[in-house]
Amino acid sequence: MNLPKLNPDQIKKLSLSVIGFVFLLYVYFTFFLGPLNKSHQATEAAIVDRQRKIDTSKGEMSKAANLERQAKDATSRFSALKALSPEGAPIAWFPPRIKTLFADQKIDKAVARLESATTPKEAELAGWTKYNWLIELPQTDYASLGQAVAALENTEPLLCITKLSIHPVPDQPQFQQAAIAASTVIEKQ
Amino acid sequence: MALHLNLLHEEILEQRQRHRDPLKIGILLLAGCGVLLFLYYGWNVYQTLQAKARLSAVERDWAKVEPQVTEAQKRAAELTNIINTTRVLDSYADDRFLWAPVLEKISHCVAPNAQLTAIEGAVQDDDKGVTLVIQGVAAAHEPRSAAEDLRQVLLEQLGQSYREVKVEFKALDDVETVTKVDGAAMPMARYTIAVSFKGNSAPKPAPAPGRSKRKNESS
Repeated sequence: MNLPKLNPDQIKKLSLSVIGFVFLLYVYFTFFLGPLNKSHQATEAAIVDRQRKIDTSKGEMSKAANLERQAKDATSRFSALKALSPEGAPIAWFPPRIKTLFADQKIDKAVARLESATTPKEAELAGWTKYNWLIELPQTDYASLGQAVAALENTEPLLCITKLSIHPVPDQPQFQQAAIAASTVIEKQ
Repeated sequence: MALHLNLLHEEILEQRQRHRDPLKIGILLLAGCGVLLFLYYGWNVYQTLQAKARLSAVERDWAKVEPQVTEAQKRAAELTNIINTTRVLDSYADDRFLWAPVLEKISHCVAPNAQLTAIEGAVQDDDKGVTLVIQGVAAAHEPRSAAEDLRQVLLEQLGQSYREVKVEFKALDDVETVTKVDGAAMPMARYTIAVSFKGNSAPKPAPAPGRSKRKNESS
């Protein structure tokens, strides 16, 4: 193949053209095509991410709907347990309630005192407080006391009697006096 | 054969040289490459714009769904919390020791010639064991055997409903005092009985989602 003879001026121009071409390629890939591809890839990644979120969200929503159906019993039971505790400080409503309960069982004198309030050990009961009460019955009889304790345990499902003490009244041995230590869990107001 | 004379030889050579000018060819090649690169760039721009349009559509979909998803997640967390709390509260209510049935059983155990003077009971925190201390007096020809009868009946009655029942005398002393039972004077004995048992009659199965409510039946 006969290559045309190039004079020095042409060689110089050709060299400059080659350098210019390489520079052009560099600029093209670095400042045009590179950023464009990056942008494209980022967009594709964002699409995949959003699409995944949308797909996951459908699962989440159906899961929540299933949970709603499953939790029907728990929700109604939870509401019922919450409804056991009226609004306000327990020391304001618990002693009168106990007094009324024992009065209904023909035990006229009943005094409930708050001994202490603690946080339950269970993590699930973080929003609840455990109250320890001392219920004193200065004068009762064994049968009435038994019925009253049964009524107390049946009407207060979250009340747990931890100690029970029954002694005769000193001057009236036909009567007994009782002290009941009980704890209740009540939702924090 | 005709003779051709080329009188423009130099001009034609010059013209040919101009056509084969490497600089010109290089510039043409460069321009061709430039066009190709430009077209390739344009194709990439088109694809990127299409991707951005798709992203906008997906973003719109997500914007529609997101509030519902956030609400659903919040509700799911709330429901999970309610379920867990209710489970713990139910176990709290179900596992507590009920005193009324014990008081009823004790009342059934006491014979006419025995009398209870004091009962002290407590539920242990650690293992939910129950301890009772029962004090009283018994009157009979053999007051100690009357007290022993009471202990036996307590053991039998409590054993029907509770586990690991232990009924032991802590003290059993004769008393000087004499009392009348059915018109007959009887010697007396004072006793202190210690009772211990586990609260539930059988070990509980694993907590079930539903709840079987246990109620006092002594009232």
